[in-house]
Amino acid sequence: MPDFFDAYFAQQIINGLSLGLVYALVAIGFTLIFGILNVVNFAHGEIYTVGAFAGLLLIVGAAPPLLAVVLFAMAVGAAAGVGLERLAFRPIRRFSDEASLKSRAMREATLLSSLAVSIVTRELMVHFFSGEMQVIPQAALLQEVIAVGPLTLTNGNLFIFGASVVMLGGLQFMLYRTRVGLSIRAVSNNVLGARHVGIDTNRTIVATFAIGSALGAAAGILVGLYNGNIFPYMGFAPGVKAFVAMVMGGLSSIPGAVISALLLGVSESVATDFISAGWKDMIAYGLLVVTLIFFPQGLFGHGRERV
Amino acid sequence: MVANASRVSVAARWLGLAALLFGLIPALLAAIGGGYPFQVAITALIFVTLAVSLNLVTGTAGLLSLGHAGFFGVGAYAAALASTKLGWPFPLTLPLAAVAAAVVGVLVALPTMRLISIYFAVATLGIGEMIHVALLNWVSFTRGPMGIRAIPPIEVLGLDLSGVVGGYYAAAAVAAAGIFAVHRLTHSYYGNALRSLREDDQCAAAMGLNPVRLKIEAFGVSCAIAGAAGAVYAHTASFISPDSFRFEESILILAMIVVGGLGSLPGAVVGAVLLIVLPEALRGIGDFRMIAVGVFMFLSILFQPKGLLGEASAIALFRRQLGAAWRGDIQAGWK
Repeated sequence: MPDFFDAYFAQQIINGLSLGLVYALVAIGFTLIFGILNVVNFAHGEIYTVGAFAGLLLIVGAAPPLLAVVLFAMAVGAAAGVGLERLAFRPIRRFSDEASLKSRAMREATLLSSLAVSIVTRELMVHFFSGEMQVIPQAALLQEVIAVGPLTLTNGNLFIFGASVVMLGGLQFMLYRTRVGLSIRAVSNNVLGARHVGIDTNRTIVATFAIGSALGAAAGILVGLYNGNIFPYMGFAPGVKAFVAMVMGGLSSIPGAVISALLLGVSESVATDFISAGWKDMIAYGLLVVTLIFFPQGLFGHGRERV
Repeated sequence: MVANASRVSVAARWLGLAALLFGLIPALLAAIGGGYPFQVAITALIFVTLAVSLNLVTGTAGLLSLGHAGFFGVGAYAAALASTKLGWPFPLTLPLAAVAAAVVGVLVALPTMRLISIYFAVATLGIGEMIHVALLNWVSFTRGPMGIRAIPPIEVLGLDLSGVVGGYYAAAAVAAAGIFAVHRLTHSYYGNALRSLREDDQCAAAMGLNPVRLKIEAFGVSCAIAGAAGAVYAHTASFISPDSFRFEESILILAMIVVGGLGSLPGAVVGAVLLIVLPEALRGIGDFRMIAVGVFMFLSILFQPKGLLGEASAIALFRRQLGAAWRGDIQAGWK
C-alpha cells in the first residue's frame, strides 16, 4: 500500500491526538474523583459544559486574551466542582455506619444524586441559553489555518496541545511535589489511614473536586472554541468517552487514563478512513468491552483482588 | 385450614390489584377524558415493566446495569421488523421480542458476568451504546435514523386493540405479567439466592450456589421482560427510532428504581409512575418541568437514600398482605 502513510493519514493522527488530549483532560477529573471517593461523578460532563459557557460569556462581555478566558473557565469550573461536592456528595456521606457503607442502595444513591444535579444544571442552561448552538464571535474561534508542509493544522490544535501538556505537567507536579497532592494520594489510597495521620479528608475531597473540575472546564472551553459549537448538551459525548478512557486506564491510574484517552482519540480519528463516520462510536465502546473482558483491571491498572 | 383461609384472602388481594389495574384506573382515565391520559398511562406502564425488570438484576441480584434501554430497543426492533416485514401479529411478535432480547442479553452476559461491581456496570454501558450505534447505522436492516414507520396496532385473536384504550389494556396485561413473574422470582428461595449474590457472591459460592449461572439466568429473564416491553412500545407508538433507546433512557429506568427503592417491587412501580407522570402533570410550568423533575429526584435521594419504599418495608408488606415470601405453612427448601 503506497499511500497508506500519506499526509492525510498523518493529519488524522494529529486530529486524533488533539481529540485524545481533550478526552484526557476530562478523564483526569473522573479518575481523580473516582480514586478518592470510589464513586462515578455523573455531573462531570456538565462541568465541562459550564466551563465552555463561562468562557463564552467572558468572551462576549470583555473579549480578553485567550489565556484569561481559559483561566476564568477553570476558576468557574473549580467553583462549580466545589458546589457539586457540597450539594450532591457531602450530604450522602453523612451515613457513615457500617450497614450504610455496605448497602448497595446507598452507593447507587450517591451515583444518582450527581446525576440529578447534572439534569438540573443542564436544564437550567437550556432555560437561560436555549438548547441551540451559541453564536461565538469569529475572532475568538481557534480555527485559523497554519500550513506545515502538506499538513494543515489550526491554531486550535496547537493551543490544545500546549495547554494540555502544561496542565498535565502541572497536575503531576501538584500530585507529587505539594502537600495537597500528598494528601490527595493518601486519601485515595486509604481514607481511614489518611484520617489517622491527621489529614482532613473533607478538605482533601473538596480540593480534588476543584482540581478535577478545573481541568474539565478548561477542556470544555478549548473544545468549544476549536469546534465552534457550544450548547447545553455538549458535555455528554466527551463525558462518556472520558469515562471509557478512565476504565481502560484502570480506574485510578492517571497516566493510564491519559494514554487510553490518546489511544481512543487516535483510533476514532483514524477509523473514519476505513468506516463511515456513524460507526466510529462503535470503536470506543468496542475497545471498552474488549478491554473489560480481556484486561479487566484496565490496561494500566494496579492489581486488585477481584474485578 | 388456616393455610387454606389465608390462601383465599391472598387470592382476593391479587384480584383486587388486578381490578385496580384493569377496572378502576381505566375508568378514572376515561373520566379525565380524551386519549391523552391513556397515552401517558401506556408510557407509564411500559416503564413500569422496564423498571420491574431492571429491579430484578440491579435491585435483587445487585448487578448495576447501565444499558437496559439497549435490550428494550432490541425487543422493540424485533417486534417492529417482524410485524412490518413478515406481517406477524402481536401474539407472535411479543414472545419473539422477549426471546430476541433474552438471547442478546445472555450472549452479552456470558463473557461479562464474571466482572463485578462498577466493572460490570461499565461493560453494560458499553454494550447498551453499541446496540444504539448498531440500530442507528445498520441502515439496510433497521432503516437507521429514519426509524420504522406504520407498525400495525395490536390485535389479539381477532380482538381489535388498536385505540389508546386497547393499547392500555395490552400494556397493562404485559406489565402485570412482568410484575407477577418478578414477584414470584424474588419472593421465594430463588430470590433469596439472588440477594445473597448481591451481598457477597464469594460467600454464596462457598454455600454451594453457582453465582455465574444465577446471574446469567436473572439477566436473561430481565432482558426478556424488557424486550416484551419493547414490543408493546413498538405496537402502541407505531413508530420507533434509535433515539428512544439511548443511555439517557437506561439512566431514567435506573433512576426510577433508585427513587422507588432498590430491590423493592412496589418501589419500582411507584418510581416509574412518578417519573413518567410527574413531567406530564407539570406541563403547566413549561420550561421548568424538567428542572422540577431533577430537583424531585435529588431531594428524594437526599432524604430517602434507600428509596421511597425501601426493600425491607416492601418485603414486610408482601409478607403481610400477599402471603408471599416465606410463609410459615409452606415446607420449602432450596430447589
